[in-house]
Amino acid sequence: EMVNEKDDSQRKKKESIVDLSKFLDKKVRVKFQGGREATGVLKGYDQLLNLVLDGAVEHLRDAEDPTIIGDETRNLGLIVARGTAITVVAPSDGMEQIPNPFQNAEE
Amino acid sequence: LQLPLSLLRTAQNHPMLVELKNGETYNGHLQSCDTWMNIHLRDVIFTSKDGERFFKMPEVYVRGSTIKYLRIPETVVDMVKNEVQEVRRHQKDMHKQKKSYGGPGRGGQSNRGGRGGGNAGRGGGSGRGGHTNNK
Repeated sequence: EMVNEKDDSQRKKKESIVDLSKFLDKKVRVKFQGGREATGVLKGYDQLLNLVLDGAVEHLRDAEDPTIIGDETRNLGLIVARGTAITVVAPSDGMEQIPNPFQNAEE
Repeated sequence: LQLPLSLLRTAQNHPMLVELKNGETYNGHLQSCDTWMNIHLRDVIFTSKDGERFFKMPEVYVRGSTIKYLRIPETVVDMVKNEVQEVRRHQKDMHKQKKSYGGPGRGGQSNRGGRGGGNAGRGGGSGRGGHTNNK
């Protein structure tokens, strides 16, 4: 609910800066503190960024190097993702892999 | 003296690079940000930590707490200076307006105490001529 109970710095803004309603019923990719990643259909959310994901799938990482997201996955089903642990949210559709877009070679 | 968050707010609609604590980088245009430095980027290129893989995505939401740093175009830095000046000037104007009323809470017009209220004490003509002499 958008109620002006207290001021937010100088402005009265109760909404979060991203409107998750446009992602409802769409697949989203969520990254977590600690490096875990999951995708799922966004069924619900709240101000604190807690998310309800349906048919969620965790993308497992390499045993050797946990920074690499491999192909293995594990099914999580219907989950609530805790907002406090979420680091990144992005729509899964519209995400495509591309070759190096930067002119200069990456270091 | 400039605040980091005001720099960020000024940078809205500008492209920037965000590196997260986990080493991943996001290049995109800043759609919006908030007091916790959470940001919403549009037209994003995501580069994996090893710099090998690249993904394009229409938008991302990034938690402020997970940001390591942001790279912002230099042109934005100049814009901030102007914006900060304008905000300060605006605040000063508001302040001036309040003073000229003479503090409505203290019964500005019939100011017998003669202490408060900018006009009554100093205004001279308008202050005294205005109300009846209750001596």
